[in-house]
Amino acid sequence: MNRRFALSIGLGALLAGRVASAQEVTIGYAGLPAKSSGESNTGIQISDGVLLHAGFGVEAGYDTNVFYAPTNTIGSSIFRFMPYLELTNATRTGPVSKELTFDAHAGLQYRHYGNSVISNAGYADSWNPNAGLSLSLGGAQFGFAVADVFARVEDAPYANSAGTGGVPAKGIGIERNNNQASIEGRWSPGGGRLTSILRFTNMVNIYDQNSQQSYSYANAMTNTLMLDVAWKWLPKTAIFLNVSQSFVDYLNNSAATMNHLSNSYPLYVTTGLRGLLTEKTSAVLTLGYVNGFYSNGASTSGFLGSTYLDLAFTARLTQLSRAVVGYRHDFLNTVISNFAYEETVYASYVQQIAGRLGLDLSGRYAYLSYQGQTGDPTQQGRVDNYFQLGATLDYFLRNWAYLGVGYSLLDNRSNIAADSYLKQQVFARLGVTY
Amino acid sequence: MLKTKLLLTTIFMGSTVFAQGPAPEAPPAPGGQGASAVDLSVKQKPTLTPADMINQSKEYFTGMGAVVKRIQTLQDQAKREKDIIRLNCVTDKLVQARVNVNIAEQSMATMQESVARNNEGEQTHEFTRLTIVNQKVTVLGAEAENCIGEDLSFVGATRIEVEVDPNIPQYDPTQPGSPFIDITRPPSASPID
Repeated sequence: MNRRFALSIGLGALLAGRVASAQEVTIGYAGLPAKSSGESNTGIQISDGVLLHAGFGVEAGYDTNVFYAPTNTIGSSIFRFMPYLELTNATRTGPVSKELTFDAHAGLQYRHYGNSVISNAGYADSWNPNAGLSLSLGGAQFGFAVADVFARVEDAPYANSAGTGGVPAKGIGIERNNNQASIEGRWSPGGGRLTSILRFTNMVNIYDQNSQQSYSYANAMTNTLMLDVAWKWLPKTAIFLNVSQSFVDYLNNSAATMNHLSNSYPLYVTTGLRGLLTEKTSAVLTLGYVNGFYSNGASTSGFLGSTYLDLAFTARLTQLSRAVVGYRHDFLNTVISNFAYEETVYASYVQQIAGRLGLDLSGRYAYLSYQGQTGDPTQQGRVDNYFQLGATLDYFLRNWAYLGVGYSLLDNRSNIAADSYLKQQVFARLGVTY
Repeated sequence: MLKTKLLLTTIFMGSTVFAQGPAPEAPPAPGGQGASAVDLSVKQKPTLTPADMINQSKEYFTGMGAVVKRIQTLQDQAKREKDIIRLNCVTDKLVQARVNVNIAEQSMATMQESVARNNEGEQTHEFTRLTIVNQKVTVLGAEAENCIGEDLSFVGATRIEVEVDPNIPQYDPTQPGSPFIDITRPPSASPID
């Protein structure tokens, strides 16, 4: 397997990075891997059919704008360390069974800012655990899968909050805990041309209420029921129909209402094409109807507001390189108003060089238009133009050990000056994914 | 003088005649393949006694028995190798050989009766029949040895080799994306507590 393609998502940097839908593509700087790369001949065989992967990653670098300030930025050295463990049912040469697969992983990221100003304010250190479990059963006709993923991320607060010298007071950053559990059943009668998936997903999102900028009013539980029916008119190309109904409930309704957030019942009815166009190109083309069904306040409306569009195109230029471009028109729940319309364009390029070097370049532009009344009146009518760039160059000492450099750029240009910022990070990194 | 010349000529010609060796034997008939020990020549009727005929017939039976046994061995071998083509060929020769052996047994019995009754004509007839049958069985044995099997005409089992373009992803791109957790940084705000 191509090493760079296989290096998985670093949860510690997902504050900035976004995963492109329907593809395992990370946009922005991915950070340190939280799981094994899937390379063969790695891992420790602890019993028949059970493989233990272990690894760690270390990053050291510089952050130009720790508190996402528009001006008077405060920079700092930054250090991150993340060990992880992963248990799968496999051998060092491949999976044991296609009927039963399981994967359990856990990691813990430690982040430290070296600037004494930041340390004195209490924002120097954070511990960010993550864990996941997945189990999949089934054969050719019926399948069943359960999965659960948890992550906690603590990041420095925004500088425009109360504080002096550009350093927010209180010493507690923005803490977000997210747990997502899902269960699904798959049915592929006959020759497997027609595949149906019924999936239920429960997501709980909790913000720490003691943080400087407490978003605890936006704590919410989202339940989603999805039915996907796909017809494979070619072995790896399918036309699909997807219906998804969600129920978003704010756990503290009174606090949410005070901040002009309301429960919603988003409905997506989409159709399109997924899979290979040629042996080297693949696409996800999705078009459909969407409605937020917000119980109070603003809701999605109009032709564009009720349209969902997702276009993603992947090209394997060579066996060692891959390019992805995509566009998405959607809406999303936000913490400052009911929702925002989002237009996103992204691109990614991954290249393996001379069998030892891996290059990863990605970028995203997102246009966010916040709709409805905002809890903070200074944010009314806010429009963000969000630019994100990420680059990584790794040298693989072995297929399980790497060292390299990374770069991240986050640039938000908002019509509200206080919300604009430019943040850049550079890293030197090394790690083991065995 | 004329009588002396005639006498000398006679003596001279006679000595010339008696100087020649006995007439050479006729070359042996071309034998079949397989064991070269079997004599397929048919002896002249005046040289075989009834006892000779019976003894020769017994030799014929011994030879035919060996041939039938050999053909059975070839049949068992073809069965083990599951060589259908060769098995059919060998079985065909075996059936024919057994039929000829049955005929030979009947001829043997009849010949022995004719020897007892001192019926010379019938003895000769049955002996000739036995000889021909022996020749047939020998030829069938040679043909069974040369039955062609699958190993000569069969080019091998059909083998299908699937070559998959390495660019084609191993995962199934037709599946909907898995849900991913959302831990993106929330936008800045001063919320109402």
